[in-house]
Amino acid sequence: MNKRGFTIIELLISILLLSIVLLLLLKVMASLEVVNHDMSYASDDEISRTKIIKNIEESMIHNHLNGLFIESNEEKTIIHLQMDNNKTIEVTNKAIIFDNEKYQLKSKNATYDRCIKYQYVDLENNYYLVTFTIPVLIDNKNTTIHDDLTFTYMGLKNDTTSYMKDYSC
Amino acid sequence: MKRGFALLETIIVITFVAVSLLMLYGTFTNMIEKKERSLMYDDVSHIYELYYLKEYLLLGGIDDSSSIKKLTCDDFNYSSCSILFKEFSILELYLVPYGYEVDTNYSFYSYYQTLSNDEEYDYLLVARFLIEDRDNYASIGVNIHE
Repeated sequence: MNKRGFTIIELLISILLLSIVLLLLLKVMASLEVVNHDMSYASDDEISRTKIIKNIEESMIHNHLNGLFIESNEEKTIIHLQMDNNKTIEVTNKAIIFDNEKYQLKSKNATYDRCIKYQYVDLENNYYLVTFTIPVLIDNKNTTIHDDLTFTYMGLKNDTTSYMKDYSC
Repeated sequence: MKRGFALLETIIVITFVAVSLLMLYGTFTNMIEKKERSLMYDDVSHIYELYYLKEYLLLGGIDDSSSIKKLTCDDFNYSSCSILFKEFSILELYLVPYGYEVDTNYSFYSYYQTLSNDEEYDYLLVARFLIEDRDNYASIGVNIHE
């Protein structure tokens, strides 16, 4: 056998084997990239998201939410919560302000969508269900609903209950 | 005198590299799965949805049971239950006695293994949500002997 270096056949076989190995590596990288793109908000702002939802939900439960009204201008969307102690949620592209606390997004490409999704449903025995969602956009796209901020409230209607029946922005 | 690699040597090196990369692939895949799974379990929005569902369920009362019970809208005394299931994207709802040994036949087995038993409840209300074609799980403690 000639031991002076590669023959063309040996070189071709080596390239083929290396290509297979590199394809495997590419597959790993591709799957990592997909997960990172879809979950980037969730991983960077996971704690912040949990804190916002918890604080607002607890406030709605303890202060007995009894009405909701949404208004929007060029800079921000304001959600008025009619409760024992009235409060507002202010939504701008980069932050949410609730109860004198500002929650800012840390993820570089993430923004809050000021177009809030709202739904009111009457249930039986005077109960009702309200859900509203503040979508989170990554590069201006709502890639997943996992990182959206969804709030739910179920209550019993009384004489002063006042909710918007529907809302679109 | 050898001046370069022989084919055999090249193949040995490539095999070694391939095995190393395959091991890396396995590790990465596990990490990705764990990360994805952690995002599918106990989302704070789902916990609050379950809280309201629990309150609604308790309005009608719950019968004591010593084994796992799959809850359907027949177990609620209100017809609005189906609206709540639909709005919350709940596919399955279980009432699991505290400390119960769940077997692998249940869809929430993997999720249940991740829960700690630090807090004592009479039951655990476990829900399977379908979000973007993926199973999400969340649970909340229920006390009926208060």
